[in-house]
Amino acid sequence: MSSAQNHNSDRGILAVRNLRILFPTRDGRDTVKAIDGMDFEVRSGETFGIIGESGSGKTTLGRALVSLLPPTHGQILHDGTDPVTLGTGAFRKHRRDYQIIFQDPNAALNPRMTIIDSVVEPLEIMGQGDHASRRRRGIEVLERVGLAAEAADRYPHQLSGGQKQRVNIARVLTLRPKVIVCDEVVAALDVSIRGDVLNLFADLQREFGLTYVFITHDISVVSHISDRIAVTYLGKLMELGPAEDVVEHPLHPYTRALLSAEPVPLPSHLRVDRRIILEGEIPSPVEPPSGCRFRTRCPSVQPRCAKEVPAWRDVKPGHRVACHFATANGPPPDNQKAQRAS
Amino acid sequence: MTGAIDISAPTATRVAGMPDAGVSPQPPLLEVRDLSLSFTTARGALPITRNVNFTIAPGERVGLVGESGCGKTVTGLSLLRLLPPQSARIQGDILFNGTNLATLSPRRMRAVRGREIAMIFQEPMSALDPVFTVGDQISEAYRIHFPVSRLEGRERAIAALREVGIPAPERRCDEYPHQLSGGMRQRVMIAMALICKPKLLVADEPTTALDVTVQAQITDLLRSLSERTGTALIFITHDLGVVAETCTRMITMYAGEVVEDAPVDDVLTRPRHPYTSGLLRSLPGLSRRRGVLASIPGRVPSPSAMPAGCCFRSRCTHAVAGCEQSQPMIEIESGRTARCWRAPELVLPGAVN
Repeated sequence: MSSAQNHNSDRGILAVRNLRILFPTRDGRDTVKAIDGMDFEVRSGETFGIIGESGSGKTTLGRALVSLLPPTHGQILHDGTDPVTLGTGAFRKHRRDYQIIFQDPNAALNPRMTIIDSVVEPLEIMGQGDHASRRRRGIEVLERVGLAAEAADRYPHQLSGGQKQRVNIARVLTLRPKVIVCDEVVAALDVSIRGDVLNLFADLQREFGLTYVFITHDISVVSHISDRIAVTYLGKLMELGPAEDVVEHPLHPYTRALLSAEPVPLPSHLRVDRRIILEGEIPSPVEPPSGCRFRTRCPSVQPRCAKEVPAWRDVKPGHRVACHFATANGPPPDNQKAQRAS
Repeated sequence: MTGAIDISAPTATRVAGMPDAGVSPQPPLLEVRDLSLSFTTARGALPITRNVNFTIAPGERVGLVGESGCGKTVTGLSLLRLLPPQSARIQGDILFNGTNLATLSPRRMRAVRGREIAMIFQEPMSALDPVFTVGDQISEAYRIHFPVSRLEGRERAIAALREVGIPAPERRCDEYPHQLSGGMRQRVMIAMALICKPKLLVADEPTTALDVTVQAQITDLLRSLSERTGTALIFITHDLGVVAETCTRMITMYAGEVVEDAPVDDVLTRPRHPYTSGLLRSLPGLSRRRGVLASIPGRVPSPSAMPAGCCFRSRCTHAVAGCEQSQPMIEIESGRTARCWRAPELVLPGAVN
């Protein structure tokens, strides 16, 4: 036990150390490098946003953070403890503090169980209280997430998508977790109710002092709710910094392109044409490009990018980036623009 | 004879002098009149859309927006009569270049589909046949309408693939859908839809399944192809950002009705229907960071229990006595209509304030 605990330098409630998660391909001859070397901490009480395209490893990362997937290499420390080293009983007790909410509110609920049965199931598994007290607790939590007590005895198909997602939130809250990983939790909801659910997340955080890891491909959502944002690409982090800095003054060429690709609903006279169209799509994680992973699509690529893996370095205090040429002033210039200028 | 000249002359000057006056110089390409759609269920007819009216001018790009269940997808499908005729009942007129598609025989409708009006769907993998090469599928779309040889069909397919920006089209042509990435597959769908040079393309959420960087490539492609070939576009989406960047006009649907129809820039600046305004204000990108997000309370009424009068009034903060009356589309200014009797007096926030 003592070897797994690291009391000195871990300020983070989650500390990811040189994490790699590999899966064998179906024919067993190759490996998919879903996470290929990540290092970061999530601080207690913050909302940590993770953005990236599909195939960037963000969902794998989310599952690994709550011990649903074991790391192939490296460690994920929960408040200084490596859950891999815990015995079965201790691990079960431990993991109630680290919960996850999934994208599809329908798939996450058993259609044959009533809402209240789904909500109290975690308490049953933990063996807490008797039947009546669990039900009381379940109804309390349902009310807290804005569902009337009448909903308790309904089945999932009788609720709307937004209500079902509230049930999923209620279910993880019964255990009073410290950390909740939210994997695309509003992606399946209509725009008009998305706001309600995001507001609820913010309220619950203030009330219970929760730490969120918010995984999404929606930049406007992540920039709205996060304190810090990490940008993933093909199993690696490209950039990590305070939300405002990352969104307003990105340092990595990938972040810049990702932000510029987001369609903005503004009238044409207020829109600035700053769009950088990236060529092609994210390469295969079976054989990622040598050197910098983003070089095959990078508008600022240089010969050095193919040879050397860029260091994960602090460019500004609290703002890290993996690019040879990024400076505190921003990403390197676009090759085409630089050529035109000279 | 002289009378005829007298009549035509002032008309011509009026059109030339006021290009924005809503008097289109050409007749519309598509005119949808009082289109109502209902599905037959065990409990009787279930009305899905009611009295949908809009027109599309040649080359125009129109965004059809609304939340899930508002009837935007079935409206797109009914234009091409792709709904099952046993269960879907279509009433009203779909005038395409003067021909009423709603009453066309199945055989003549087949000659329109793909040739005059084409459609692309949200999920390219389920729209493509996994056992044929993409080249075969694209050339089939052409050879159904034009009597050309296999070889010419293949050449046209390669040209179409090149047109939509697929590298090495000669090689890609012989590949199967599973060998292509999501963005490539959607490009193949676009190539297939545009190979007969249709006058109208109906795109139903073509970028929803794609990543944001690939979405940008596809919306740019659709816009530039439409500009170059003069193909009109109906872009069905829930993403107002995509509409702002791709379309010239936006039609908002709610609970099976068109509630607002306006030029994109105008509606984003000053929406005239409370629902459109609510949608715009719900977008997180436009509100203060970490502030409270706006949302629309309540939920869409079910099609089986549609209230009389304004369908939005139970969720509307501007609802007053009078909203329970049936709401016609009213013209607020030239080229702008909204289904809200209070629209002329309400000042609603848009995307900028």
